Amino acid sequence: MKKHLRYTVLVGMICMVWLWPAGSVCRGALYQMGRVIHEKNSLYNSIFVYQEGSVVTLRFGKRAGLHIQSQVDIENMHEHLLEYSKLMFCGLLYNPEPKRMLVLGLGGGVIPREMRYYFPDLEIDVAEIDPDIPPIATQFMGFKTDDKLKVHVDDGRMFIKKQLRRKPVPKYDIVILDAFNGDYIPFHLMTREFLKEVSGVLDEDGVVVANVFSSNRLFDAEFKTFLDVFQRCQVFFGDLSGNAMLVSPGAKCEVLTVEEALDRAEQIQQTLKLSFDLVEVAGLLDPEAVPDPKARALTDDLAPVNWLREQDTTSEKSAGEGR
Amino acid sequence: MTNCDSTTYPPSESAGPRRRLAAAAMVFIACACGWFMMELEILGVRVLVPYFGSAVYVITGSVIGVFLLSLSIGYLLGGWLCGKLNAWTLLGAVMIAVGGWQCGIPFFTEPVCNRIFDLGLDEKWGSLLASLVLFGAPTVLLGTVSPTVMHWLTQQASQSGFNAGLVLATSTMASFAGCVVTAFYLVLYSLRATLCISGMMLGGLGIVVLLTMMIWNRARQGKGHPQ
Repeated sequence: MKKHLRYTVLVGMICMVWLWPAGSVCRGALYQMGRVIHEKNSLYNSIFVYQEGSVVTLRFGKRAGLHIQSQVDIENMHEHLLEYSKLMFCGLLYNPEPKRMLVLGLGGGVIPREMRYYFPDLEIDVAEIDPDIPPIATQFMGFKTDDKLKVHVDDGRMFIKKQLRRKPVPKYDIVILDAFNGDYIPFHLMTREFLKEVSGVLDEDGVVVANVFSSNRLFDAEFKTFLDVFQRCQVFFGDLSGNAMLVSPGAKCEVLTVEEALDRAEQIQQTLKLSFDLVEVAGLLDPEAVPDPKARALTDDLAPVNWLREQDTTSEKSAGEGR
Repeated sequence: MTNCDSTTYPPSESAGPRRRLAAAAMVFIACACGWFMMELEILGVRVLVPYFGSAVYVITGSVIGVFLLSLSIGYLLGGWLCGKLNAWTLLGAVMIAVGGWQCGIPFFTEPVCNRIFDLGLDEKWGSLLASLVLFGAPTVLLGTVSPTVMHWLTQQASQSGFNAGLVLATSTMASFAGCVVTAFYLVLYSLRATLCISGMMLGGLGIVVLLTMMIWNRARQGKGHPQ
């Protein structure tokens, strides 16, 4: 009897030790995102909308560790709660007065909504593959379309192919690549052939900005692919998240030194009065960044994206570059 | 029930060691074709996505739909042909044709898909047509394999159920293995190289079958066996 009691206590203790961190993670996540106010199984995603106070969060799937797609404070719509949406404004440093913008991937619609707010004449096309996302962004996250901000329910690559078929081909000053499925960017939106198609709709003074994660080998492959297609590519590494922006300027657009980036950011900040400090974003430019020399560009033929994504480089980078 | 191949290779004496060896080879061919069919189906998705996007119609509708349709036509065709042709000749020719086609896919994907896209067809009908053009013919041919193998294995009507079950079970298991290996591992390699190497392997197997049959029949003729 005593022996049984001892085993029971032992098993109980092991369970507690094992479940304690899991419990804290769950509590942490629930505290940050609140309760589920809407859920929808769409063709592509399990969409969950959470609300905690005035903060609304969009996620695809409930699994712990999944990335948040978008987060909005509905009482303070212009505040950027996630670092990546601020980082995406780095495109303005290269083209401060965009006339036309293309965004692949809508999510909560923060980027197009904010760009529309600061640039009332900006024409924006958004390509979003999931037909259930635009109504959710509109209903819960303060996004709305108008005659200059249009959402096209289409695969990003197909949308660009269709634009390329039009005569004359419409050109964009800023192209934002932010199409994620639950886990990562679909492979066909990372390859050399795709980026060549993107360059076909990019104005000579335009800039391509891609939201990626910098902690794995896939980052180096993506970086190398951008360099292959656009010849030039600069990186802004987020300091609060694993997000990084790969930025490739068009043929007539210059790459920036940190000083130039800071100067331009200051000017833009004074003119637009952005709700966050663009100078801080400009300070995240790493003009020395180069991809791993062993990295190979991704192509439609060879894109081992899942394998590359599993190859974590965080420890190597922190040891080698002090980041 | 008499077998249409009973007068040619392999010998028709029931349950002899040669017959058993030939039966194992037949089941192996059914398995190989099951494997390569699923490999082609999974790689087919990767072939089409860059041209027609990753919308759900491309993957579930076009690729899986075309494979099912083509297989059903192949089953009918196989059922009809196996009563008219030597099973080994048919299987060898099918494997060579499918292997050759598979090696060609990387070369004619771009012109075919671009042409279809230029026709103005959307991702649904465009990807369905592209899938039909690229994968229809080889899948029809692969569909002829199972009925041919079942027909060859069956010497008496009472064996038909067991043989059908055996062929379906083993080739479907091989399809499962081909599916998992392709989706987990082969997709990490070059699509073109994977299609070409697999095509060469399948075509090579077809050549081996035809050559073995020819050598065997010649040897039997030399020994004075009746053809």
